[in-house]
Amino acid sequence: MKKRSRLLLTVLAALMLVLAACSGNGDTSKDTGKDSGGKAPEKVDTSKFPLTQENNDEAIKGGTLKVGLQSDGPFKGMFLYELYEDAYDAEILAYTSNSLFPTKEDFLLDDTGLGKLSVDEGAKKATITIQKDVKWSDGKPFTADDVIYPYLIIGNKDYTGVRYDANFQNIVGAKEYHAGKAKDISGIKKVDDHTVEISFHKISPAIYSGGDGLWGYAAPKHQLKDIAIKDLQKSDAVRKNPVTLGAFVINKIVKGESVEMVANKNYWKGQPKIDKVVISTVSSATAAEAMKTGKFDVLAPNYPANDYSAIKDLNNITVLGRPELAYSYIGFKQGKWDSKKGEVVVDENAKLSDPNLRKAIAYGMDVETVAEQYYEGLRSRGNSLIPPVFSAYYDDTLEGYKYDPEKAKKLLDDAGYKDKDNDGYREDKDGKPLTINLAGMAGSDKDNKIVQYYIQNWKEVGLKVELTTGRLIEFNAFYDKVKADDKDIDMYMAAWGTGTDPSPIGLYSKKASFNYARWTTPELEKQLEAIDSKEALDNDYRAEAFRKWQETMYEDAVTVPTYFRTELIPVNKRVKNWSIDYLSKITLEQVELTADEPIKNQ
Amino acid sequence: MWKTIVRRVLVMIPQLFVLSLLIFGLAKLMPGDPFTGMITPQTDPNVIEELREKAGLNDPWYVQYYHWIVNAFHGDFGDSYAFKDSVSSLIGERALNTFWLSLFTVLLVYLIAIPLGIYAGRFQNSLFDKGTVLYSFVTYAIPTFVLGLLILFFFGYKLDWFPTSGSVDVKYDAGTWGYFMSKLYHLILPGFTGAILGTTSVIQYLRSEVIDAKTQDYVKTARSKGVPMKKIYSKHIFRNSLLPIAAFLGFTITGLLGGSIFIETIFGYPGMGQLFIESLGQRDYSVITALVMLFGFLSLLGSLLSDIIMSIVDPRIRIE
Repeated sequence: MKKRSRLLLTVLAALMLVLAACSGNGDTSKDTGKDSGGKAPEKVDTSKFPLTQENNDEAIKGGTLKVGLQSDGPFKGMFLYELYEDAYDAEILAYTSNSLFPTKEDFLLDDTGLGKLSVDEGAKKATITIQKDVKWSDGKPFTADDVIYPYLIIGNKDYTGVRYDANFQNIVGAKEYHAGKAKDISGIKKVDDHTVEISFHKISPAIYSGGDGLWGYAAPKHQLKDIAIKDLQKSDAVRKNPVTLGAFVINKIVKGESVEMVANKNYWKGQPKIDKVVISTVSSATAAEAMKTGKFDVLAPNYPANDYSAIKDLNNITVLGRPELAYSYIGFKQGKWDSKKGEVVVDENAKLSDPNLRKAIAYGMDVETVAEQYYEGLRSRGNSLIPPVFSAYYDDTLEGYKYDPEKAKKLLDDAGYKDKDNDGYREDKDGKPLTINLAGMAGSDKDNKIVQYYIQNWKEVGLKVELTTGRLIEFNAFYDKVKADDKDIDMYMAAWGTGTDPSPIGLYSKKASFNYARWTTPELEKQLEAIDSKEALDNDYRAEAFRKWQETMYEDAVTVPTYFRTELIPVNKRVKNWSIDYLSKITLEQVELTADEPIKNQ
Repeated sequence: MWKTIVRRVLVMIPQLFVLSLLIFGLAKLMPGDPFTGMITPQTDPNVIEELREKAGLNDPWYVQYYHWIVNAFHGDFGDSYAFKDSVSSLIGERALNTFWLSLFTVLLVYLIAIPLGIYAGRFQNSLFDKGTVLYSFVTYAIPTFVLGLLILFFFGYKLDWFPTSGSVDVKYDAGTWGYFMSKLYHLILPGFTGAILGTTSVIQYLRSEVIDAKTQDYVKTARSKGVPMKKIYSKHIFRNSLLPIAAFLGFTITGLLGGSIFIETIFGYPGMGQLFIESLGQRDYSVITALVMLFGFLSLLGSLLSDIIMSIVDPRIRIE
């Protein structure tokens, strides 16, 4: 017996070793071989990516569009705009969209959709007029009540989502309704069956991109009205059979795995040309293979940029590309967050309080090489905190901190950071050793290589940079530390998605807890307020305000942009009329297929 | 024996209690919480703070623990923060998936391993034996994710014989014959991968037990009585060499619900292992604690079951 159990232990121990070894390699397996070739990958010209696949072949009648949802876990499956929380649910929702307003340039609301918005800036009122004779997917008429109901969901005290925020409280009467003091939101009036009037406490330019508390979606009141708000998130009306205004209707669903949708016969723009859409999850390790073998027509939400080489030569797909609404940055800690007062307190003695030191760090980073070598050109050096997609607000004249080690050295010399003990590293102004702690987020193997490359860059200009905790930090722990102004973080690398309203006030103002660099000046505050002020309702004024703010942020060099990103979406060649252009007028009902099954790579 | 079983079950209560304290404390010690991942410029930080407050995450840990344990005693493990669904229904769905996959895998393991082990032991040093030993070395050495990806690429993508993801095709309605067949169809690739990896230990145990048994006195006695070789193997040796496998049976049965993280992730099969890893990443406390409690309970139960089974199959062992 004894002998047997010892053998058992050895087998178990060995098995565990194998398993432990696996867990370390699990998600990096797809990276291997990419960097080992020794050849520098070719740089990609991101402007060459098409935005639209038109396809001149003759279309078949109907057909099923197969969408791969690239996710290593099941999707959550909350199919209601008022409740959903992640990008995967959003991808599915797009096919059954209850959106009232499409967008035009700079993501401003357009009036070619179900609803028309008119704003009376003086009276602080907005009027939404909806189209007549539109029907929900179950045949019931679409009315003003369906426009009002989402507000009653979000404002309800039992609401479980994240959208009852400062913006929403800008609606007159929202707070009273939330507190249970009123049965309705007093600022929302149903004028007639197709007109709704909403009163706000203040009106800013954000309202034209759907901000200030304006809600851009309708909800089927006739289906939801009998469900208590707190039970909505578990109800079948949200999880299984939501009624929609969109091009497709959910027909069947395997929880967390796949959704089958059929064309909405009552769709207001006319019945879609394809019969069905099937969306199913695919693990990131096999997404490229799935596209190659024609398992899917299109991947959502997008394809990982650091694995581009796996799909770039496939002849059965077109890789569409567009700029992402996001930027990566490096932030320099300048102070602390005073949670009692709810504001940023700048510490003048912060380790990186000298702007020249910060600029030297920025000039010393070889972002260009990283963007080309590690990301194959799918990232590019960012020069501003507003991505270029927002053409009216983006300042293309900004120089940015282009890699210039000589300039970095000169800045450091002039500022008094000199290497006095000849150990290869500069000391601070008082001659004491200077070590800068950098926090970064752990991800793939590549992230490690990149951060080590930067540390090497900084060493070359004489700066000693070490990683906080000695390694890259897991996502949750990273934000915990950054948020708490951990004393071991002098600078950190992170990214922000901008959404469709790039207003920076929520990220950089004195009262913003997301202002992780903890930097504020009276001048910056003024500029931030100007962006969302009343005067900024004039677009030229707003563009100018954005420009001024970008310049100040560039001069202050506290949050320095590193990359702009390109997102890739592979589409099978049998798909006709597929567009990822933010300005495209091609919508889902026009999509067609030119073969019965997705084409395979030959 | 009944007395002992009752005593063992009673001892489980303090054991589970200690486990619940440990896991609750450890979960809270992890950096971040379910709302850390929600930060975007579009989300109002005050809203996140309010949600945190509503969920009671700002209370001291013992208060949170008290609420949790009281609810747990009423069978309510709370709602998942990430899935916004009740933990019991979430685990219920996944447990069912995992149960079918594990059952399929275990059946395959025995189907493959028992004949291989017995014959390899019986014809020791034959070509067949050497082949079997080689097979177990290879399957022992190959990491799960490598084998899983290879099988998926070859049979799923290259040959296109099997589905590559999910547990059932969306086009069938639950309860129909097509639905059942589609479920089975989806089990084949992940089931085989798990089975191939699982056979190693069973084969090795059986083989060495059979080799051991060949020189035992009872076998010599049987042979001298003139019992045919075939019968000696199928009756005497087979039963005795199954003992070490029977010793694991309890764990195997309860292990049916544990799931495998690698296989589930590679084959996009929504089961318990995947749920566990995902809830760890998202700090989905309610799911983490419920799962660990379940796993803990299952392993305690498994060890009890194993002891009971052993006492039944091996009369020399008595539970006192």
